[in-house]
Amino acid sequence: MTTTRDVIIAGGGRVGFQTAEILADRGHDVTIIEREEAVINSIADEWVATVIAGDATNPNIIEQAGVEDADVIAALTGETGLNLAVCLAAAELSPSIRTVARIDRAAGESYTRFVDALVFPERAGARTAANEIIGSDVQTLADVTATLDIMLIRIAEEAPAAGKQLSEVRFPDGTLVISDGEGDRVARSETTLTAGDRYLVAVEPAVADEVMNLLRG
Amino acid sequence: MSNQNRSPNAELGLLDATMIGMGAMIGAGIFVLTGLAAEIAGPAAIIVFALNGAVTAFTGLSYAELAASIPKSGGGYAFVREIFDDFASFIMGWMLWFAYMIAGALYALGFAPNFLELLHVYGLVAPPGEVGAIAIPLIDLSVPLAFLLAFVAVLALVALNAVSTAASGSAETIFTIIKVSILVVFVLFGLSSPMFSGAEFQPLFPSNGGAAAILPAMGLTFIAFEGYDLITTVTEEVKNPRENIPKAIFLSLIATVIVYLAVVTVAVGTLGADGLANAGEAGIATAATSFMPTGLPIIQNGGALIVFGAVFSTLTALNAVVIASSRVAFSMGREGQLLPSFGRLHHRYGTPFVAILASAVVMLGSVALPTQSAGNMSSLFFLLSFVIVNVAVIRLRRERPAMNRPYKMPFYPAPPLIGIALNLLLTVVLVEYLFRTDPLAIVLSVGWIALGGVAYLGLKRVGSESEPDAETDKTMASDSEADL
Repeated sequence: MTTTRDVIIAGGGRVGFQTAEILADRGHDVTIIEREEAVINSIADEWVATVIAGDATNPNIIEQAGVEDADVIAALTGETGLNLAVCLAAAELSPSIRTVARIDRAAGESYTRFVDALVFPERAGARTAANEIIGSDVQTLADVTATLDIMLIRIAEEAPAAGKQLSEVRFPDGTLVISDGEGDRVARSETTLTAGDRYLVAVEPAVADEVMNLLRG
Repeated sequence: MSNQNRSPNAELGLLDATMIGMGAMIGAGIFVLTGLAAEIAGPAAIIVFALNGAVTAFTGLSYAELAASIPKSGGGYAFVREIFDDFASFIMGWMLWFAYMIAGALYALGFAPNFLELLHVYGLVAPPGEVGAIAIPLIDLSVPLAFLLAFVAVLALVALNAVSTAASGSAETIFTIIKVSILVVFVLFGLSSPMFSGAEFQPLFPSNGGAAAILPAMGLTFIAFEGYDLITTVTEEVKNPRENIPKAIFLSLIATVIVYLAVVTVAVGTLGADGLANAGEAGIATAATSFMPTGLPIIQNGGALIVFGAVFSTLTALNAVVIASSRVAFSMGREGQLLPSFGRLHHRYGTPFVAILASAVVMLGSVALPTQSAGNMSSLFFLLSFVIVNVAVIRLRRERPAMNRPYKMPFYPAPPLIGIALNLLLTVVLVEYLFRTDPLAIVLSVGWIALGGVAYLGLKRVGSESEPDAETDKTMASDSEADL
């Protein structure tokens, strides 16, 4: 239904928590599974997700996180083996769930046989570092900014803004549509937001969920 | 999760959160419901409000525990959605939505006679009570006038909230402080007035109903204490919510009970329960005009200040429930429990436009109801919703024992069980009372729930037909993510 996903994140450490925060900002439902008492308290203070306290490989704990109704489970702890186990257990309990596992070395990429997607935060971080060191003009989109999100957004069929000209749509302050549907012209006020086409949009985190609502329904 | 106050600096502190809760509870209830409670329970109206505060405290504990552990801003509906299946959470949202909409009608109906009273104080129209009582040909004119005022008030606030998001937010703190200050003036003048007399409290209970008359009066005025649901609709904006939300719930509840008791004591002590009952929705305003000093500069009559408080409070409370009702409908739309269009923002105004318009239709229709029926139904639906919230606490504790609970209620499971029992008792008493006195409210309530059942089945069918669409949407979304 609509674009709101029900997401479980195993491991509320640095990677897990940042991910949860971004997802919650975009309006998704996030549940975090975390073992460490101190980490749990700091998550509770930030008010982004429901927290289940316990070991993410314990089927009972995964069930308490609501695995049956969840769309995605992302195992983002620092241990590749543990992440894999969590994804396999979740898929066993809820076969239709999408599984995402964090890996810590390139060799882990063969794990796509067991999980739907892999993330390798260390490599993404290294790429950013490399960009900074070389000072290159070419940078990956996600790395250009501090908190500003540069996103490629496909307009959904039934979205409020679909089929409207940019001049007709009033975006919240902190939003900029950069390129038009073909991606070869800068967006102008007469640019039409065609459903199914993708647009490059710059969004401040505070208004991200509003913009997603307008463009994705 | 709507778009109000998403700017990073709009952080609400403990005071703001407490004031939002108090604003809703002291808002209109005290001005509109005091006269109605006195009509049923006599001077025991004071006990009615004290006991209602105690009953609602148990549900307050449940709200505090849920709000501290589930970081969502949807109020009671969001909590129930977390643990219950589709149908139960749909019914919860459906009832809460209705409760807020009918509360909107109630506040609009409370606004109209107080506004007429304000005009009357300055000699612009005849006294509201006498218009109908003396000049019979004028009944046809005066009744529609109050109705028309209520209608226009709803229309204006709906229009405001439909095209702008500015009407909500931290201005609430200032509003609440103004309201409470006006009531403090009322209480101080009332207690020192020669009209105030302890004799008005004898006998405490009405001769025709005895102590049993308290229960239906409690049911009728239960809506006065629904404010903590409103606190939990803004948790996202509150600083350090796991500590401040439970505190705000308890503080606002305690402060509200104290204010109610003081105001009702003064109103009964000066006007007498019968005089208060006769004044109906304008009870407090009438009491004030009877003892406040006259001949003051600018405002002329001191009572006008209190009447202004009543007008101001009913309007701000109406504004709050217009926002609250549309937020419930908006969350239901986001969750796919109402048509998806309910969960979308307007492309130009950035407001949950469809949700506000749909709420407006029901509110405008309900303005035609007698005030008492509106109060009855709103209280009934808040009672039922709160029963479900208490059940949700118990279910969450049983099914998700490992869930992190920054605030755990003391003496579990006693508070939610007592909350369920007391809320159900009031529900039963209220329903029985409605069968005797207000069959219209029963018919409309049953009708709304039946309509909900039909809407649920209809949405299920629409949902299963459009399933392929949802699938393509999903793959499209994951494509674009992969490209990133």
